[in-house]
Amino acid sequence: MRFVDEFRDADLGQAVAGEILSLVEPGRHYKLMEVCGGHTHSIYKYGVDDLLPANVELVHGPGCPVCVIPMGRVDDGIALAHQDGVIFTCFGDMMRVPGSSGSLLDAKAAGADIRMVYSPLDALRIAKQNPEREVVFFAIGFETTAPSTALTLKRARIEGVANFSCMCSHVTIVPPLRALLESPDLRLDGFIGPGHVSTIVGARPFEFIPADYGKPVVISGFEPLDILQGVQMILRQLADGRCEVENQYKRVVPYEGNLRALEVLAEVFELRPHFEWRGLGFISHSGLKISDAYAELDAERRFTVPGVRVADPKACQCGEVLKGVIKPWECKVFGTACTPERPIGTCMVSSEGACAAYYNFGRFAREREVV
Amino acid sequence: MSCGSDHCVTCGDDGEPMTVVAIDDERGLALCTGDDGKRITVETALVDPVAVGEVLLVHAGTAIAFGAPV
Repeated sequence: MRFVDEFRDADLGQAVAGEILSLVEPGRHYKLMEVCGGHTHSIYKYGVDDLLPANVELVHGPGCPVCVIPMGRVDDGIALAHQDGVIFTCFGDMMRVPGSSGSLLDAKAAGADIRMVYSPLDALRIAKQNPEREVVFFAIGFETTAPSTALTLKRARIEGVANFSCMCSHVTIVPPLRALLESPDLRLDGFIGPGHVSTIVGARPFEFIPADYGKPVVISGFEPLDILQGVQMILRQLADGRCEVENQYKRVVPYEGNLRALEVLAEVFELRPHFEWRGLGFISHSGLKISDAYAELDAERRFTVPGVRVADPKACQCGEVLKGVIKPWECKVFGTACTPERPIGTCMVSSEGACAAYYNFGRFAREREVV
Repeated sequence: MSCGSDHCVTCGDDGEPMTVVAIDDERGLALCTGDDGKRITVETALVDPVAVGEVLLVHAGTAIAFGAPV
């Protein structure tokens, strides 16, 4: 496959693994966080961690956009979907995220008109095809996805699609990283930075990590060799006594990001004072809402939503998993009460979720054997 | 390509290389095809201008970058 096979070459992988081995100090334990859920998925799908020395540990960060949506937001979506005349649209994995009394998929089974879409543009098309109905798009995702929503809202206005609106749950990546770095129970040696978020925001927003916290960051792609090279570059920085933001994914990520995307984000969205993250609690300036200039396209202003905060289930330890404090299989309900078929926590819903990645690729069995 | 039960490319922050097969300049859209042969309409405002045959990195129906050669 184009642009892919070259980054799955086994011989090259072994060579990079050899370089990694030469860079680690015996007796030192290295803890590196991969920020993005896409990295987590690739690491377990391709067994990247099997190529790493035992003293290099990968910790899974909060970068799965589905996993960080709190139950209250799902409940709000379900309440909106049940309103008369509403067609509620959302991405595939979001359908299965549990709210306090079921998921959007359950609500669909109960009669709500909820449809899976591939893009916000698909949702807008549904609105144009159903002018007598109100079509709401449940927007989730980091800065990778937010421009797509913003462009669709602009298009809805230009094309005069009056029956389209958006329930905005977009989040930003920097505030949770800062929250994690401030967390006293987490010691990290470096970060594998998010590749596709950085396509939009660039590398500059991550400069605070080496500057303020003394940790290296390497923005990396998602193929196995990308991730291995990202690890190698972090370890090289540590071995050299350097600490900076490096860009392994230069073939896609410009250091300044995509300026057009940043402009459209600034035009359509504004930062919420705070936003609740699943397992991480409220984080200041970490969520986006639709700006006053686009108020008529904001579903939360057009409809009444409950907006009630719902506590995570007590048995679920998604918060500790998202912070990298525990491994997925160390959660009390992992693989027993909580499975991809019947998830309790959001980390088990999306295949980018750390728990689902472990579960789907059989890692939990190996980990338990080791213990 | 699409959101499936085992993997949702949109939720996963995936960027997919897709080739431009037709362009609607007036509306800022392009018809693109993936390696699986499926065609979708792609928003091109973030990378315009695009040309037929170019490879775009597509996420959530929007081209976020050019799919640069290795």
